[in-house]
Amino acid sequence: MARSVHLTLPVSPDDMRQLALGDLVTVSGEIVMTGGLPTHMRIVEAMKGQRELPFLLDGAAFFHLPSYSVDTENGLEILYMNPTTSTRFNSLMPGIIRHFGLRMVCGKGGLDAESTRAMQEVGCVYLSILGGGATLHSDAIRKVVDVGWSDLTTHYRLIKLQVEDLGPLTVAIDAHGNNGFLQLEERARQRLPHLMETLRRERETASSATAKD
Amino acid sequence: MAITYDQIRTLSADLYEWSLKRIPDDATHALDAAIEAETNESARKMLAMMRRSADRAENTDRFVCSDSGVPVYFIKVGTLARFEGDVKRAIRDGFAHLVETIRPPLLQHVTNPLTNERSYHGKDMPIVSWDMVDGADYIDITCAPKALGSGRWAALEIFSFPTLEEIEAYLLDVIVKTAAQQCPPVTIGIGIGGTFDQCTKIAKLATLRPLGSVNAEPALAAMENRLMKAVNGLGFGPMGTGGDTTALAIHIDYSSGHGFTPVAICFNCWINRRARARLYNDGRVERVE
Repeated sequence: MARSVHLTLPVSPDDMRQLALGDLVTVSGEIVMTGGLPTHMRIVEAMKGQRELPFLLDGAAFFHLPSYSVDTENGLEILYMNPTTSTRFNSLMPGIIRHFGLRMVCGKGGLDAESTRAMQEVGCVYLSILGGGATLHSDAIRKVVDVGWSDLTTHYRLIKLQVEDLGPLTVAIDAHGNNGFLQLEERARQRLPHLMETLRRERETASSATAKD
Repeated sequence: MAITYDQIRTLSADLYEWSLKRIPDDATHALDAAIEAETNESARKMLAMMRRSADRAENTDRFVCSDSGVPVYFIKVGTLARFEGDVKRAIRDGFAHLVETIRPPLLQHVTNPLTNERSYHGKDMPIVSWDMVDGADYIDITCAPKALGSGRWAALEIFSFPTLEEIEAYLLDVIVKTAAQQCPPVTIGIGIGGTFDQCTKIAKLATLRPLGSVNAEPALAAMENRLMKAVNGLGFGPMGTGGDTTALAIHIDYSSGHGFTPVAICFNCWINRRARARLYNDGRVERVE
């Protein structure tokens, strides 16, 4: 039975190991977010000592959440935010998760098996967030805490944002090596022979009905 | 009287904005029906959240999704339509006008594929397909912007004299591989036959057919029905929660060809961004969708 859990950031690896696939999570506190591939590549450069990070990412809640931000008298303001597809970053995420000991990654579409292993090692979960929920997600925006790499287009910037009750988000990869997306794919493959057989029978019924006509 | 540059410019901008802020009525009805029919509790909650998101965007004049995609138009020109001013330029300028004026502003999504640089304009933007309507005194414009979220997962395979079984197996294989990446429940457009270019075009146009409509070809209507059951039987569910609702609709079209048979599959995410209107010679604007 899926539980509903509210988490206040920061969280520990042990906190994350308490979560199970399907749990519904709302999050309050400081998250780090971006939607950009160039941003991920800069983070990897920083891991190699080739570049400075704008702020620390250790133990972060890392969200694949592009946003529209504008400069105002009171600093940067986020007008709206909504997730991007996490699997775009499959090749980079295992290294980032391990290097910074991320506690959560959030986005849409999940991550691959190697990221799942990395998450298990460091005590991290993947949270799936509704794509096309810009107004609902944006309700959670409280304050922009920090902004990095403002030279990039707005949705690529690395933003530290204070949120309140962001969610519900679904635990789609837990910290024990279980990946809900890969499980669904595996189950679908197992169902294929039966579904193909049903399709074959229905095609035969359709063609015999046509023959009678 | 004639259809003017200003009318076309304004309407192409408006259609884009409408498609971003309000999901079509048929998509709303399809989501409601899915909420009724869905047996998985997590999936039902996700579908209900989608409905809330769509309602909220419409009521607050904001975007359903932050990714406004790139501008894509499908335009049918009546043979009796008369124009005052440039038509193609009006559509280009409409997008430029939208970028300047829309609130909240759009993100920069137009991507140069050679450099991956992003901006508000680029080669061949907006993407426009043209067709003619014999005897009509209007121009019919559909705007269906496209983004990576669902656009990334379209697929094409060229077969040679395939059986229906091979075509249906290919669809299920594509759905399994995409594994709930395209923000399901999706609308699936399938094109069969013709040529490479024709096949992808009819697949795309099939996604624009109203949800809930019945295919005029009985054989394709039956195929759509059985494939709906099969695709939803795979169990991915809305946003990959599991459940019965992976597709809201499957629309198939075909063209005669020459034995090399392309099969094209493309997706709309659950939002089904689409807005459509007609401009008439007498100045009327008719909102169709």
